[in-house]
Amino acid sequence: MNISQPSFKLDYGGKIEREIEKLISAFDECNFDTGRYPRRWLALKLLEADEDVLVRVQAAPNGQKILSVAQTGSKHLQDMLGDEVDMLAADRRYGFINGVVRQALQRPRLDRITLTDRIDDIVTHKWLGLPVFFAVMYVVFRLVIDVSSPFLDWTDAVINGPLANWIRLLLDLVPLPAWIHSLVIDGIVAGVGGVLVFVPGLLILYFFLALLEDSGYMSRAAFVMDRFMRVVGLHGKSFIPMILGFGCAVPAIYATRTIASRRDRVLTSLLVPLMSCSARLPVYVVFGLAFFGSRAGTVIWAMYALGILVAMLAGMVFTRTILKPDASSAFVLELPPYRQPSMKSVLIHMWENTREFVRKAGTMILLASVLMWFLLNLPWGVADQRDSYFGKVSGAISPVFAPLGFGNWETGGALVTGFMAKEIVVSTMSQIYLNDLEAEESAPTTFVEDLPGIVRGFGEAFISSGRIFLSIIPGVDLVMDETEVEDTVLSIALRERFTPLSAVSMLVFVLLYVPCVATLGAIKQEFGASWAVTSAVYQTVVAWVAAFLIYRAGLLLGFA
Amino acid sequence: MSEFIQLHLLLPGQKATIARIGGAGALRRRFIEMGIVKGEVIEIERSAPLGDPVEYFIKGYHLALRKEEAALIEVFLHD
Repeated sequence: MNISQPSFKLDYGGKIEREIEKLISAFDECNFDTGRYPRRWLALKLLEADEDVLVRVQAAPNGQKILSVAQTGSKHLQDMLGDEVDMLAADRRYGFINGVVRQALQRPRLDRITLTDRIDDIVTHKWLGLPVFFAVMYVVFRLVIDVSSPFLDWTDAVINGPLANWIRLLLDLVPLPAWIHSLVIDGIVAGVGGVLVFVPGLLILYFFLALLEDSGYMSRAAFVMDRFMRVVGLHGKSFIPMILGFGCAVPAIYATRTIASRRDRVLTSLLVPLMSCSARLPVYVVFGLAFFGSRAGTVIWAMYALGILVAMLAGMVFTRTILKPDASSAFVLELPPYRQPSMKSVLIHMWENTREFVRKAGTMILLASVLMWFLLNLPWGVADQRDSYFGKVSGAISPVFAPLGFGNWETGGALVTGFMAKEIVVSTMSQIYLNDLEAEESAPTTFVEDLPGIVRGFGEAFISSGRIFLSIIPGVDLVMDETEVEDTVLSIALRERFTPLSAVSMLVFVLLYVPCVATLGAIKQEFGASWAVTSAVYQTVVAWVAAFLIYRAGLLLGFA
Repeated sequence: MSEFIQLHLLLPGQKATIARIGGAGALRRRFIEMGIVKGEVIEIERSAPLGDPVEYFIKGYHLALRKEEAALIEVFLHD
């Protein structure tokens, strides 16, 4: 492939041009194949001593000869013109650019103090900068979590109600064995549906993140946070993926692409899964409510804090061992003028990030649900889940968790399935504990009958989310009353098997142990299999040790 | 002619002309791409709340650099 030669050629001045000519004829004389690179470009890069180009040319046949010609040329130019060739060439380019700009652009007389300056005086202010940053993050997370919750409930209701019914009706149209029904409804719809429920939350999360990014605030945040992130060995820009990690680690790992240095990207991706992603929240909520009632909020908050703390410690350890900082981890960041974000690009951001998550639901989680269903139902006709393949595997690994306070086979099994996606820990537990308490079968309805209900539900979700939105403004309280903490069947079942202390130990383990398979897939795709393995191993070890310490310390202190 | 000093030693409000750019490979190239070239005037705007990085004004836009990187750039200070 040959990149077509541009018709425009920038003149680098007689002396440099002569050296370029010399090198181009050297390509012919030495029989050097420039491959897909334009010859003039390659010659200039060689004179500039561009590291990547030097390495590539050296590796190519006859490259050594070319390198020595280039070196002589480079040296000659530097002696004659008194500067490195890369700087001389940059001067020429900027000179040309200035010429074009002067001819083409009439700059409006700039106010010395622009609106951007005035905003920056506040958001990057010595004392105000950090409080403003934390306030922005707090508001965004309140918005994401609170505003999305009515929509989450709505999606949940639609998937498990009408949607499951329609699928049931469709399956009834064809004569199929009963097990296929069960596979589709209890396996696929329950599994994939359970994850798709998070889509509204993600859409709202990405909406606000895109607003922050496109308005220009994100780079200020990186500027304000850089010193802080460096303590942990990270880059100011790493903080964006870390924040995304609270939503879902998969898009967060892809978001590390905005970081220039590979070392910083790898380190960020190793730490991102320690941020409590939205999939872990259902586990925290279920256990929190079952064991701590009205103080569940504190426990959940503590889990988020613990994740951040462990990430900081892990960052410090990695920075001093296998991921030492290198020259490429520089911080050279433009702070662009603030702009009003365009709705179109915000929507594109939202869609692209959410798509990754939906794709994961459509592949990994679909597979996991099907696999899980078979493991629970094989060998054929198994009556007690304990005798299924799943029960056997879980029973075999559960002794590993005994020192942590939860050595029963159900928990072991739930944790194994959590590898597919963390929220599956809850759905597995409810599948196992409540298998005889199947949700009451609602009377079959038709599409037409359901539709008004779905639309009405969406409207109601919209209104209550709007109320919550306004309630975030201090002093406005439109949210009616705190919802009663209901004792679900699952809470009762959990209390029979866990003590508050072993529940905390379990939550710590769920927070820290092996990232879900989709996250590891993303790490593998971006950095190769060995980093994915590193991530899986270090987190599992850390999780076990942390849960062990907490459980044992709790016992010593007399908690049960 | 006055002595060159390292960019990170300057204080907010000061102006300087770039004299020499150190660093190697990707970093040096990045400096050049961002318009940090010899002869360019650079103005120190403000430092981040924790003292580092520092925001500069160059070629009509705002650029943030860590002190560590700014130390690779030598300038002479305007009076």
